[in-house]
Amino acid sequence: MSDFLLELGQNHRARALIKGLGLPIPMPQELARATDAFLARPLEGHDIAFGHGDSSPLSDVIAKTLTEAGGSVGVLHDCPSREVFCTQAEAWSRPLWELTLNPEGPKLDSIVFDASALDTTESLRTLYDCFHPLMRRLKQCGRVVVIAAAPDAKQDPLKRATQAALLGFTKSVAKEVGKKGSTANIVYVEGNAGAYLEGPLRFLLSRRSAFVSGQPVLVRAPKGRKHPASDWSAPLEGKVALVTGAARGIGAATSSLLAQAGATVVCLDRPADDELLSKVAREVGGVPLPVDITTPEAPQAIVDFVTENFGGLDIVIHNAGVTRDKTLARMKAEWWNQAIDINLGAVERITSKLLEGTLRDHGRIVCLSSVAGIAGNVGQTNYAASKSGLLGYVRGLAPVVAKRGITVNAIAPGFIETRLTAAIPVVIREAGRRLSNLGQGGQPRDVGNAITFLTTPTAAGISGTTLRVCGGALIGA
Amino acid sequence: MPKKKQSRRAVIVSGVRTPFVRAFSEFLKMDTFALGGASVAALLERTNLSHQEIDAIVWGGVILPSTAPNVGREIALDLGLPASVEGMTVTRACASGLQAITTAVSAIERGDADVIIAGGSDSTSNAEVSLPSKAVHLLAPFAFGKASPSDVMGVLSQLMPLGEILPKMPKIAERTTGEVMGESAEKMATRNEISRLAQDEFALRSHERAAAAIESGRFDDEVVAVETPSGALVSSDTIVRADTSIDRLGKLKPVFAKDGTLTAGNSSTLTDGASSVLLMEEQKAKALGYTPLAAFKSWSYVGVDPTDQLLIGPALAMPRALERAGLELSQIDLVDMHEAFAAQVLSVLKMLGSDSFAQHRLGRETAVGEVDPARLNVHGGSIAIGHPFGATGARMVTTMANELHRGDKETALLGICAAGGLGAAAVLERV
Repeated sequence: MSDFLLELGQNHRARALIKGLGLPIPMPQELARATDAFLARPLEGHDIAFGHGDSSPLSDVIAKTLTEAGGSVGVLHDCPSREVFCTQAEAWSRPLWELTLNPEGPKLDSIVFDASALDTTESLRTLYDCFHPLMRRLKQCGRVVVIAAAPDAKQDPLKRATQAALLGFTKSVAKEVGKKGSTANIVYVEGNAGAYLEGPLRFLLSRRSAFVSGQPVLVRAPKGRKHPASDWSAPLEGKVALVTGAARGIGAATSSLLAQAGATVVCLDRPADDELLSKVAREVGGVPLPVDITTPEAPQAIVDFVTENFGGLDIVIHNAGVTRDKTLARMKAEWWNQAIDINLGAVERITSKLLEGTLRDHGRIVCLSSVAGIAGNVGQTNYAASKSGLLGYVRGLAPVVAKRGITVNAIAPGFIETRLTAAIPVVIREAGRRLSNLGQGGQPRDVGNAITFLTTPTAAGISGTTLRVCGGALIGA
Repeated sequence: MPKKKQSRRAVIVSGVRTPFVRAFSEFLKMDTFALGGASVAALLERTNLSHQEIDAIVWGGVILPSTAPNVGREIALDLGLPASVEGMTVTRACASGLQAITTAVSAIERGDADVIIAGGSDSTSNAEVSLPSKAVHLLAPFAFGKASPSDVMGVLSQLMPLGEILPKMPKIAERTTGEVMGESAEKMATRNEISRLAQDEFALRSHERAAAAIESGRFDDEVVAVETPSGALVSSDTIVRADTSIDRLGKLKPVFAKDGTLTAGNSSTLTDGASSVLLMEEQKAKALGYTPLAAFKSWSYVGVDPTDQLLIGPALAMPRALERAGLELSQIDLVDMHEAFAAQVLSVLKMLGSDSFAQHRLGRETAVGEVDPARLNVHGGSIAIGHPFGATGARMVTTMANELHRGDKETALLGICAAGGLGAAAVLERV
């Protein structure tokens, strides 16, 4: 589905004309997206400004992550962690540069701010002092990541307030930089989970998170598990993944990305879509599994298939879903049943069956929810119920499977350019596209990239959460 | 890898090389077979070795002639050595010469052979200039068959743009990244903060030391005069500039980037030449009445991501070779590094001296160590002497073996960077 304004915005004459005339037409910035393979150094050549409060408790892992990922880091002259950044810079031959809080300074690809030590309302001022002069230096499609301390029972209310303030700050920054295709997100890190920050930080700074903006990500230390080593260029090497609804849209894009990351993908969709499904499976070097997930035999059929062919399963992506939209007064019971059963019932049945022994330790489960599940929508009582049900399901299941190193998360896409959204009436479709920080719809692969990230070993610290891939959509935010 | 307790040990008995000369000059009419043959013939003459004793020639080369890529065997045949002298050719970019030697050492220590000539050669002057495949496809009907009128029309219609069908000048570019090696080295200079002055000073020292080695007759041990087809005698290296100075080097323009620091003066240049060493099983050498010069304690070949720092490999290979030899850098008497670019050598040296690099990249507590300039490239290196790709390894091994044997030195460490993100290193010990 083409986006007229996005295309218009790429024509610099049209862009200048609309701006010059002061027309109230949004000109979304085309997003810079990763088009290449998974890279060991996704931040190669990026100039990254590092800011901090009075101290930077997470500077060790931040310095390691940024430098190893290829970033060139600038720190303030009074940075308390200068030594830590210096040693990483030297080891990877990426000279540290001096960050000055000068609005006219060189442009920045990213700004990373360690706010995890902020604990008083006055200390919030360091945010202003650092970001105020740097905002105009952020390049198009730039990245802002704020690192915060996750709330815990022992925090005093003032620290809690200060850390909570960071969320409002980050979401507002996301809105301010969205016009230029840039994103801002915040990572809340639990006290002992520093080592698990690496994967999320890389993802949020990379071009794979192009449509994730204004979002909090919670990182906790998983129980009894050592920090995972990752082969960044093939993070899913040797893994077997199941993707439901793989024949088109988000499912097809996700299958392709999982395969690119090294996984063998079992592509599942309705037998009626056999032809499309086989094509996708062939393209990603995976295997097609034509099964109707709503049938009672489906869970067993899936278990039998993956056990026989692969001896087990590492990754499950519950992507298959339907809309059966009607206002509640007009909705037939059948439509209610279908939406609830396919979107929620089948997910629960298949997951339970897989957890009986098919899903291996350190497995990954990702459920496709929806922003509608968070915000609700006219005509979608059934759909929204099923999708918000999934949010509860991942929250509830996560602690149950944590012992085995398995993580369960939900992804809530906003307006994504798919067959589903192409069918929406034009006025509503336009509203859906524009009412977000980035002023445009996302691509299926934006969702696929977020899903793929959650399935990697380095996302071990994220479980029981919901990640929105919505470009900072206003609804439900 | 040689085991600690081994019954057989390979020793270096002798080494000889041709003078190294700038490409497209004195050796223009000598291809890699002729150059290699000249060095092997000289080696046999100097050592007075009975041809019957030779088991094999193991050769290294980078620009291999496509019609006869097994240069090692061709040399044996050209020199009229006994048919039983078998030959092979290895290629590992600029580490090809060292690869040939360590392959031979392995063969001897395994018991596959007792006497092997190993070395390498390259004639950049005789690199095959290939036609773009578009031109080949267009011209094939004329060259290989009967051209029809439509073929003629086809050629005429596709002659433009001319650039697509003209032969391309060969250049040393990475196949995967398309980056010319000097551009990669330029990036390394920036990333490791190697100044122009430091590079020029390094280059100057390379020239001064090489010139001194020629002047003093030290290189007479290992360089042999070669008569070209036209009858001229080339007796000495021609790239070395005894009269260069920091001022002269400082005036040269950067060649790989507009505001860059790499110049023709602080980079190695395209060179023609060959070198070879005679390797024998130790007891065999003694039985034949030779005095062994040195032996290999260890070696290491590594690969790094060519898109990161293409030529940083030795910073990983050298510590690994040291570890395998059970030695620390401080116990090494001589260090010899291939000088592809001054910036590259200085980058590697900087990493060897870095605690951070040691901790994060090598899993060591402290830096490998600083290399004392007095022990490094004591007779100059590739910048001053030249770098015929396949010949450099045997040149370095020969110089170090002679140096160990002549002085009261026990150990030498070699380091070579190579295209494709390869690094090579070896530890030699006096016998």
